[in-house]
Parts: sequence; structure tokens; C-alpha cells
Amino acid sequence: MRRVLRVAKREYLATVRTKGFIIGLVVAPVLFGGSALAMVLFRNQVDTRDKVIAVVDRSGLVVAAVQEAAEARNAAVVYDEETGEKVRPALVIEVVSANREDPDAQRLELSERIRRRELHAFVEIGAGLLHPREDTTAQIGYYAKSAALDDYRSWIEQPINGRLRQLRLAETGVDPADHDDMFDWLGAAPMGLVEVDPETGEIGGPRRTSEAEALIAPLAMPMLMFMLIMFGAVPLLNAVMEEKSQRIAEVVLGSAKPFEFMLGKVLGGLAVSLTAATVYVLGGVYAIRNAGLSEFIPYHVLPWFFVYTLLATVMLGAVYAAFGSMCNDPSEAQSLMLPAMLPVMIPMFIMVPVLREPESTFATAMSLVPFFTPRLMLIRQTALESLPVWQPWLGLLGMAAFALLAVWAGGRIFRVAILMQGTPPKLGNMMRWAVKG
Amino acid sequence: MNAVELRNVTKSFGKTVAVDDLSLDVPQGSVYGFIGPNGSGKTTTLRMIMNIYYPDGGTIRVFGGELHGACTDRIGYMPEERGLYKRMKVRDVLRFYGELKNGKDVRRQVDRWLERLELSEWAKLKVEALSKGMAQKVQFIATVVSRPELVILDEPFTGLDPVNTDAIREAVLELQAGGATVIFSTHDMGVAEKMCDFIFMIFKGRKVLDGTLTAIQDQYGSDTIRVRAEDGAAALQQLEGVERVTDFGRMQELRVARDRDPQEILRAIIARTRVESFEIAKPSLHDIFVRIAGPDARGVDDA
Repeated sequence: MRRVLRVAKREYLATVRTKGFIIGLVVAPVLFGGSALAMVLFRNQVDTRDKVIAVVDRSGLVVAAVQEAAEARNAAVVYDEETGEKVRPALVIEVVSANREDPDAQRLELSERIRRRELHAFVEIGAGLLHPREDTTAQIGYYAKSAALDDYRSWIEQPINGRLRQLRLAETGVDPADHDDMFDWLGAAPMGLVEVDPETGEIGGPRRTSEAEALIAPLAMPMLMFMLIMFGAVPLLNAVMEEKSQRIAEVVLGSAKPFEFMLGKVLGGLAVSLTAATVYVLGGVYAIRNAGLSEFIPYHVLPWFFVYTLLATVMLGAVYAAFGSMCNDPSEAQSLMLPAMLPVMIPMFIMVPVLREPESTFATAMSLVPFFTPRLMLIRQTALESLPVWQPWLGLLGMAAFALLAVWAGGRIFRVAILMQGTPPKLGNMMRWAVKG
Repeated sequence: MNAVELRNVTKSFGKTVAVDDLSLDVPQGSVYGFIGPNGSGKTTTLRMIMNIYYPDGGTIRVFGGELHGACTDRIGYMPEERGLYKRMKVRDVLRFYGELKNGKDVRRQVDRWLERLELSEWAKLKVEALSKGMAQKVQFIATVVSRPELVILDEPFTGLDPVNTDAIREAVLELQAGGATVIFSTHDMGVAEKMCDFIFMIFKGRKVLDGTLTAIQDQYGSDTIRVRAEDGAAALQQLEGVERVTDFGRMQELRVARDRDPQEILRAIIARTRVESFEIAKPSLHDIFVRIAGPDARGVDDA
């Protein structure tokens, strides 16, 4: 064990003493959080030049409503009330008479105007709009360069359909004075579950929840864990490959058994992960508390977070160390990196579906796969108050068993491969060495 | 007592037999030289003694016991390919290797050896800043800093200039004087002749020589003539009773055929050229090596 700890100490110090580690501690969350932050910061960065939208209304029923809505919108949102600065583009509705003889020619002409940047888009409204169930010409076409992604496409649906509803109600004899009342729309407010205050014993009042609570809080820790795995486990592949190619491994193996060497590397990586975890968790809790957002800190899953991080780093670290021992040069390590990253990346792709339906069979099954347990189970534990107690424990048991298996098999592969030069990494060899040693 | 004992040790890699039925005794306190052509099995043997490779058959005993890992604390090992963490400082990397071996008083030993090999001023620099020769000396210190009882050096003199070769040679002899057993492999026959108490030669995985230099030379008798002739090697070709002429430039070495009188050969040479010196000697280790592993021997062997 002394040798294991000495190798681990060197691995740990060699990593945390570098400027790269210190910079990485700062840069990694910026990189991961940066995209979300950028979306928030830049969501108001829009092109404020006026948008001219041509409307060809073959029905003759809705163009006036569109014009009115555009004027109301322009008055409300184009200029900042306090500064008077233009913050959004004004919508200019250009009414174009329908060419009934050659509609294709008209579409082409309007398309050319879009290409010449005279128009932002044009809208073609079918003749039989009022009763679409009875008339096949009841269509609204929105033509633009990126029509599917254009926000004004969904905006323009509102005044058109609003006007059509009014016309349909008028046909049935409803007093136009009642129309606004009939169109009133109420949304469902997102509320958290009510609970008893542990201090007063009284039932707490209803509390409105936010997107931040629903999405960011459950996803933050799995994202953090991803970074910690990247800090502690993934670098082992290249580190071991370097030690093999630079013949350092043979010197170390003159003092330590291959298994001790590998386990030392893994434990060194684990210490790196836990150091970064401590920095991030303590720093995060401090920052969130100071921001007055203590209620978003899921204290009850923090111990689980550390245990999952520990087992995930050991499990993946052993796999990466074994992979590294099979590589002879950086190009081989690079080619192995893609399959090696799959266990780390797959949970990233299914985090959101699991968060949306944390009690689904899919979410339950995936969160019990050892490679995925750390992040997916953590999401479910954060998002669900009623997660069955046995599930995290079963996940933990599976992880612990798999971590032991990974260390055992990784050690066997490592022992054979670390001194083998010139043999490229192959799945068949890996399986054979893992089974037969 | 023997520091190392190998009994009928065999090791194969796939269909290649790297070491074949090898038995060897390395007496404690001796300097034992391993020689042999490239790929003959020297490094594999050393790695098996280090317990890095496990033999397919036979037994290896170090200090009287079977190897079980912990014993490696008593062994210092310097592999053929130098392996140092390039981004670590010299002093740190030496302490790491010393502590990995559970060495006593590692810090003081590191500083002592750095001073002994004139590397103190490089102690705070990273290994990547060192020249090849300096890195080799650092690797040597890493091997001996834990004061091992058995030191195994795989080609320790390769690539060193004469000054550094002398420094390492003196350090090896100092280790021996301190009671350590030293095994080293080398391609430098001169070094092996001068330093080793015992020489072992392995060829195609099999032991072909083992013993003191004198004992080995005695196997071949005094069948060698060293001549310095005015017209050099050109004057010595096609001499009757001479099996081989090896030209060393200023001196030529002749291998005399069995049952031939060196005096006859001297007369034949004098008839061709002026002789500046003439010496009847035992074959050098270099010559013995070439006789066993040279092209002629391989041709016979292959036939």
C-alpha cells in the first residue's frame, strides 16, 4: 500500500501543482456554464433594423388585423421606455394585392425581393381561411430565408387566428363586446410541493418554482461531476500512455507491482477529482448562499454527490489507465479516446429526458447502469422527492461492484500491456488479457 | 551465498523462445557482466530477475527467497531505456524513486549522489532540461539512491562520454566495495573485461559462457597473436595457419589454427613485412564474443 500511496502522491502533486490545473479549475466551469451564460447575456442582442413583411391576403379577412397587431407591437416593444433606445425591430406590414391569374409569378417576385433584402418575409393567406375544415384553400404560407426558425412566423399566427375567431363568433351571433372576455387565457403557475415547516410545525404556504430550480439545480451537479471526471479520470489515458512510451513504466515496475502502479495512478486521479469537487462545492455553496438562493442548494444529495464522484473516478480511471497501457503513441491514444469517452458522454445526451420524466422506466433503468448511475441517479434524486430509497442504494451497489471489476480487469490488462511495445490496441487483445491475464 | 540463483528458467513470447533453460548463480558482492548480441535474451533475463516478467518455467531466487514483489525494495534496477518524468525537477524525481523503494534517509542520499556525480547545480531544474548523459547519470542515481543490496543495470554505459563512463564505473565499484552485488549488461567488452568478476554470455536465449574472464579465456587457450606490423593488415592476409585476422588499425589480432606453432607464423610475417611488436595471448572477450556470435559462427550455426 505504501507504494500505491507514493505513486498516488506523485500523480496528485504532478497534476495540482501545474498552472494548467489552476487555470482549468477556473476555465472549465466558464466553458460549461459559458454557453448558458452567453444565451442569457446575448438573448437581447437582436438586429433592430425594421422588418418589412409583405402580406398577400387572398381572403381579405385578416390583413387589417395583422397591421393593427404590428402597430400595437411596435408601440409596445420597439423602444425602451426608460432610455428611448431602439431595442427591437419594428414590423412594417406591406399589403400586396393578390395576383389571381399567376400566383406562382407573384411568389417568385416576392421571393426575389427577399433575396434583394427589400423584404424580410412574405405571408400568403389562402382564400377559404374562415372555415378550414370545409375549404382546402385555407392555408397560411410564411416565406422567408429561414422560415422554420423565424420568430415572426409564430408571431403572425396570433393576429390572424385571433381575427378568424372573432369572425367565427360573429357568425354564431355572439356579441362582439364579449369577444375579449371569451379569449382570456390563463396559464398554470409552476408550484412546488407543500410541506410542514420543521421549526414551526405549520403547513408552509405554496411556493412558486422557477425554470432555474427545475432545470439548473438538478443539472448543475451532474455537469460538475462531468468536469471532475474530466479532471481526474480521463487524463489517465494519456498519462499512462506517456509513461509507457517514455519507458518510465519499466522503472516504476522495478519498484512496484503493475497493479500497485495502476491503483496508485487511479487514486492520484481520485484525489485530483475530490480536490476540485471540494473547491467547487464549497465555492458554489458560498456563492449561492451569498446570492440569497440557499433554497436551491440540494444539501440532501451532496453526500451522494461525493460518493458517486469517488466511485465514478475509480471506475473510469481504471478503464482509462488500462486503455492507456495499451497505447504506444499519442495517435493510438487519440483513436481510443472516442470509445473511451462514450460512458462519459452518453449520460449527457439523456440527462434532459431523465429530468423531464424522472420516474419513467427509461429513467429508472438508465440510472441503474453503473457507468450512468452517478449523474442520472443524482438528477433523479435532486428532482424527485419521492424516489424509492432502494434505487440509489442499488445504483451505488452496482457502481461499487463495477468499480471493483474495472480495477481488477484493468489491472490484468495493465500488467500485460504496459511493457508490450509495438502491439496496437485491439478490442480482442483487451478482452483476452482481461480474462486470461 | 548467492544473491541471485536461476534454475532452468525459460521464457517465451509467442513462438519465440527468449530465454531457454537458463541456470545461473550470481555470488553476493560480485560484479557480474551480462554480454550477448542484441535480442539474445539479456534484458528479458534481467526483467525476470526483477519480477517484471514472470518465467514460463524454472525458478528464480533472490537473496535465497522466491520473488514476491516486496523483495524488490532490496534491488535497484536501471532499465535499458531511460525512464524519467521529464516535467519533474531532478531532485523531486530522485526522491520519488528513492521513496518508492522505501529508501532510508532518501533526502540526504539524493544530495550526496548529486554531488558525487556533479549534478548538484541541476537539482532544481526539470529533467527535460538535461543532456542525455546527465539524464543517464540521474537515472543511475535513481537506481542506487535507496542503497539497494542488488543493483541491476541494463547497459549503463551506452551513450556516455569517457568522463561520465569513468564516473559511473567508479560509482559501481564503490557500490561493490560497500557490499552490494552488481549485475550489468553491456556491449562494451573492454568494460566487461576490466570490471566484472564474472561474465555471462547469452546467445539465442541459451547460456554460452559463464565464469571469470580467466576461466573463459582458458577454454580457448593461447591461440591469439597480437601483431603491430609496418604494412598493417594488408601484409597479414592469407597467412597459412591463421584462421582470422581482425584489424584494429594500429594493431592486428590473429587467431591461430589449432596445433599450429606461432613461431612459424612470426617467420611468415617477417618474410612479408617489418614487425614492430609480436605478442602471444589469450583471446580477448571481444574475440570470444565474435567467435560465438559473429557472422562466421552464425553461418555455421545456421547451416
